[in-house]
Formats: sequence, C-alpha cells, structure tokens
Amino acid sequence: MNPWLSFWLFLKASLFSTGGMGNLPSLHNDLLARRWATERQFAESLLIGQLAPGPNGFWVLSLGFLTDGLRGALLALLAINLPPMLILLVERLYRHVKEHPAVEGFMRGMSLALTGMFAITMYRLLRGGGLDVRTVLIALAAVGLGATRRVPLIVIVALAAVAGVLFTSGH
Amino acid sequence: MEAEQQAEVAKTTNALIPEAGDIHEIPSLWLLLRVWFGIGIQSFGGGIATLALIRQAVTERHRWMTDVEFTRDWALVQVAPGINLLALTILIGRRVRGVPGIFVALAGLLLPSVAITLLLTAGYARIRGLAVVQAALRGIVPAIVGLGLLTGAQMARSLLVLSRREGSTSLAVGFLILLGGAFATALWGVPVLLILLLGGVAGALWQWRYAVRKHAEDVSPS
Repeated sequence: MNPWLSFWLFLKASLFSTGGMGNLPSLHNDLLARRWATERQFAESLLIGQLAPGPNGFWVLSLGFLTDGLRGALLALLAINLPPMLILLVERLYRHVKEHPAVEGFMRGMSLALTGMFAITMYRLLRGGGLDVRTVLIALAAVGLGATRRVPLIVIVALAAVAGVLFTSGH
Repeated sequence: MEAEQQAEVAKTTNALIPEAGDIHEIPSLWLLLRVWFGIGIQSFGGGIATLALIRQAVTERHRWMTDVEFTRDWALVQVAPGINLLALTILIGRRVRGVPGIFVALAGLLLPSVAITLLLTAGYARIRGLAVVQAALRGIVPAIVGLGLLTGAQMARSLLVLSRREGSTSLAVGFLILLGGAFATALWGVPVLLILLLGGVAGALWQWRYAVRKHAEDVSPS
C-alpha cells in the first residue's frame, strides 16, 4: 500500500462529499479496486464509527487503522480535517454572493446523486458478507427497528450479533 | 429528516431570541480548549445530539455568540465539504479567538473522540479473528447495511421535500438525479467523482432555470 496515494484517496473522498458517511461510496470503490481494504473491514469500521464518540464521520479513522495501522489512522485523521477548512473560503464567498440559486442547486443535485450511489454501496456491502434469506431478514429488521427511533443503535447491533451467532451455530 | 429537524430548531431559536444577547464574551484559549474537550467526550450518538451540545455550550453556558449567529453558521456549514461538525467547530473557533481559536477548538473536540475511536479499533483488531466475533459479524453486517439504507432514505427524503415545495417537475428532476446516481454506480462503473459532479451540474442548471422563471412570474403576475 502506498501511503501517499492512500492519503489522497481518503482526502478526495471527503473533499467531494458532505456529511460523515458521504465519503463511503468513493472510498469503497477506490480501496476495494486496489485490494487495500476488504468488504469486512468497511463493515467493521462503520460499526466502530457508530459506537465511538465524535461525529459519525470518524468511521474513517477505524478504516485507516484496520487497513494500515496507526499510520493509516493518522493520515485518515488529517484527510478528514482538511476539507472542512474550506468553510472559511465558503464564508468569505457567502458574504459576496449570498445565495445564488445555482449554488444551492449544485449542492442539492450532488447530495441526491450521492444518496443514489449510497444505496448501491450498501447493497454491495450486504452481498460481500453473503447474501441469503437470513441476512436480508436481519437487514429488514434493522430498518424496522431503526425507523421507530425508539431502539438505541447499540441494542440493534447487539441483537444482530446474537442473531449472527445463532444462525452460524445452527449449521 | 435531519435537515428538517435542524430547520425546526433554527425556527424556534430564532423566535425565542430575536437578535438578543449582543454582549460577546471572549474566552481564554485554555477555556476554549476545555469547553470543546467536554463536547468531544460527550458526543456519543453523533449528529443532532452533538449539535445541541455545542449550541448550549457556546450560546447559553458561555455567551460567545448569539443564537442567530449560531444558526447562520450551521446553515453555512451545510455547503462545506466533509464533516459538518468539524466545519462548524472551525467557524466558531475563528469567530471567538481567530486563527489560534480554530486549532484549539478542533484539538479539544478531536483529542477525546479520536483517542477513544482508535482504542476501540485497536481492541477490536485483537479479537477480530475469533470464531464468535466472525459469527456475530455475519449478523451485524446486514444490520449496519439496513441502518445505512435508512439513513440514506432519510437524507434523500429531506432533499426531495425541498424539491416538492417547488412543484412536481422539480420533484421529478430530483428523483431522476437520484436514480441516475444509483444506475451509473451499479451498471457502468463510472468514476464516483464524475457522478457527483454531473449530479451537481444538473441540480445547478435546474435550480437556476427555476429561479429565473419564478422571478419572471413574480415581476409580471398575469
């Protein structure tokens, strides 16, 4: 693994996305194509990112760590801190142009395309872990529990872990 | 969904405090570090929970800025690339203590949460080979996918709600961009960057055209 190229891939992914998980499709594509990360490592880092404190976007730190140790984690940390600095530029521009409709439209169009890509990335993650009736049922159950907004995330993950162990020992 | 809640929060805070609290306190860098450290260590659950924590700290517990300023900064960071909460931290840090404030506020937020994330990952890396962990993951991966899809649907919904307010054609354009993003990813392996840029350009052109037409209608209502 080339650390500089890897740093660039992490940087590029957050530079052209908004929100904490917006960089997922880009990283998923680039790192899997180079075999620098596995589907499993993506799933694991998303999980840890959800459980740890800090913005959900910190899942990338776990991905850096799992794929390239402490060096990977620190480069990922740098990569996610640089793009938000552009807010200083945005603020200066904002004072001049206020709200041009094209700017608003660009952001909305980009975010919509991103959510479309996001769905495909999620499907690939599911397929990577083995697609069968059981996994689809667990995914649907997680959607149902999550949609109620009453069940804490950690409870959903714990239930899914138990289901995984039960299904496996049933073989 | 998140965007809607934020808009709601912004509305109520604006109504409660109309341009109030002109007195800005200027904190020492040490106090700035301590306050952001506290936010970093309590920021479980991400997103809205952390946003509420920051608002309370900088406008209520400490009067570093007004609610109106805070709301404006939050709206602005929606346009910044990367993690919104980091951009917000940068803006507030600079607002209260200039360039040193940016680095002190970021350091305070990052130190505890980054350390805990790395410790969790390192701990996990030691046990990830165990058979029981692998079995548990077979259940956890689909659950994470389900929760991810839910988040994606909520993101899409808040965007499409905006489009629907502008009429059914805008809504259709929104759907087309979304589906275009999905199909381009699924079928042809188009570079991610290109898809995002095309989506952005399509949105910009449509929005611009919409604004021009609306302006023309407003000027000559016949």
